[in-house]
Amino acid sequence: MRTRRRTFAALVLLAGIGIPGCATVHPWDRDLMAKPTMRFVPVPHEMAVDDHIYFSKEGSTGGMDAAGGGCGCN
Amino acid sequence: MRVQLASPSPASSVRQRLGAAACLLLAGSMPAAAQTPLAPGWQLETSGLFYGEQLRAKVIEPTGRLTRQFANGRALSLGLAVDAITGASPTGGLPTGQVQTTTSSSGRSSTTTADAVPTHPFQDLRYAADLGWTEPLGSLVSASTSAHFSQEKDYASIGGGLKTSVDVLNRLVTLTVGGGYNHDRVFPTGGTAVGLSPDTTPRVPGDNPKQVRTGLVGISRVVSRRWLLGATGSQTRETGYLTDPYKIISLTDPATQLPVAQVTEKRPSERLRDDVLASSVYHFEQDIFYANYRYYWDDWGVRSHTLDMKVRHDISSESWVQPHVRLYAQSPASFFVFGLTQGQPLPEFASADERLGPLRTATFGATYGFRVPGHRGEFTLRGEYMYQWLVGRPPTAIAPSTNTPGDNLRGSIAAEGDDSGGGQHLGTNIGTILIGYTVPF
Amino acid sequence: MLTEERDRVRIPWTIVLALLLAAVPVLAKTTKPAPVAPAFTLPGLKGDVSLGSLRGKTVLVDFWASWCGPCRQSFPWMNGLEKRYGDKGLAIVAVNLDKDREFADNFLAEVPALFTVAFDPSGKIAERYKVKAMPTTFLISADGRVLATHTGFDAKHASDFEAQIAEALPK
Repeated sequence: MRTRRRTFAALVLLAGIGIPGCATVHPWDRDLMAKPTMRFVPVPHEMAVDDHIYFSKEGSTGGMDAAGGGCGCN
Repeated sequence: MRVQLASPSPASSVRQRLGAAACLLLAGSMPAAAQTPLAPGWQLETSGLFYGEQLRAKVIEPTGRLTRQFANGRALSLGLAVDAITGASPTGGLPTGQVQTTTSSSGRSSTTTADAVPTHPFQDLRYAADLGWTEPLGSLVSASTSAHFSQEKDYASIGGGLKTSVDVLNRLVTLTVGGGYNHDRVFPTGGTAVGLSPDTTPRVPGDNPKQVRTGLVGISRVVSRRWLLGATGSQTRETGYLTDPYKIISLTDPATQLPVAQVTEKRPSERLRDDVLASSVYHFEQDIFYANYRYYWDDWGVRSHTLDMKVRHDISSESWVQPHVRLYAQSPASFFVFGLTQGQPLPEFASADERLGPLRTATFGATYGFRVPGHRGEFTLRGEYMYQWLVGRPPTAIAPSTNTPGDNLRGSIAAEGDDSGGGQHLGTNIGTILIGYTVPF
Repeated sequence: MLTEERDRVRIPWTIVLALLLAAVPVLAKTTKPAPVAPAFTLPGLKGDVSLGSLRGKTVLVDFWASWCGPCRQSFPWMNGLEKRYGDKGLAIVAVNLDKDREFADNFLAEVPALFTVAFDPSGKIAERYKVKAMPTTFLISADGRVLATHTGFDAKHASDFEAQIAEALPK
């Protein structure tokens, strides 16, 4: 029961990020977002190693990062 | 007092976890969705991990990943990793104020010093490989598939995953949906122990299968010129053999509180795990601040909070430094016990594995990255240190330990996180050094 | 037990579907072309560049920035257009949207342009043209009307676009 309510609440929270806000970001304002360091995982090879280490020492599984951001070109 | 405790054959339970952790879905090393078209070409990423736990496991893990980006947005990625691990792993038994001697079923004995958590030695070699393919479907949609495989002495894993991303709202929002399936086999050396029985019980030969299914949904959004926000939710269902074949639980004598016998542990054969992750990337004038928070819960009763923060600071156009802090707090599984009392009826499930216990960890580290002028490759060097401790361990008949250097620091960290008196330091602080090299060509 | 399990699986997927449907608005890939191309006067590499002064020529107005990968790929193609149609009535104006002029200068040092470059760091002209993606190229007729809008750059479709441009040249 609690698990189901928690899952629902979690998904509603996720959806909140997608709601269009008042301030839009113009395509020409994506200069910073185009940088390769503006990603959820700035150093990719570190993430795989970290997942291994934390998974093997702790009881939780890793959350997976979503794709997104970037220069928005094409 | 010398206590003869028969121990399972030396092998790594840490290793099982490492095997199971092979990514079900494509890791961040694959290009992000339709968003940023990358220049066609090859990229090689290599890294070497040196991992050491105080007095215990030592791992050396070289990895390599080769990625080929094609002009139409397609990409192929091949990753390989080799783990060489030696050391000692906790058995799950209780420490006492006296020296303990453990004898493995093959007759080898190891001695545990007074007050230390009993461990047994192991040595293992693991190979892992993964293959991934990304295919853009139109200009706003991207799909990726992956397959992976890993093999070691007592564990084999094979699996695959699928992930799709869609850009919407003028490419400000990206939606991701993914799923993965893993089939693992656990075949402990010497056979599988029967759960919750004395370890003199004959072991069962053969494979123990385990299936893992994962689903995830994610959303990310460019909030402003400087700020990227994301959230992911995932659910994993595991069925099959989920017990650790090498862990035991100490049975203590009700009068003396000393461990006098041991039984093997037993866990349910199903586990449903959920987690939500919120991520933020914010670009200040010069520096970039990364923060993640993850809340995890499962039907074994384990709940955890993770907070992970990094700052990327450019020292020059050719070098940068990235300090890192990660804090973790976990509440124990419903069937977690520090030990059981001899004479009491055995519960249906029980485990003394510290990884299912009231665990806290704190990791501190930093990465230094640099380019050699005139060369396109980038080197990274990272050092990290992770403190681990259990809280709320009930007092047992342990003689006060003699002061060893570092005890004061450990003692105070343990005391801080603890509510019911007597934080238990595990003595398993972990140091890692990771060297990396990435080069496009 | 069984009912609970089914419900657990059912509910999250219903929500996922609802989320996906709600969050995908209907947005055309190419923006609706404005009938009359907005006028502008912007600083260039050698003096000001004004759209009005190019009346009588077919004009290609391209919005680009140094950090945009496809823009880098489009420059050699635009250089080709300049060579082939520059003396047949085609004028190319590449409007740069970098916030820092230095980045644009570095880019042009690496990828030289044979065509006219103008600078719009504040993005005001891009806003008036309703630029929705980087890069965006507007094909403007000799009498100042927007004939076509192309978002993004793709080497595969460049030849189709070139045919369109050749068609639109003043006879």
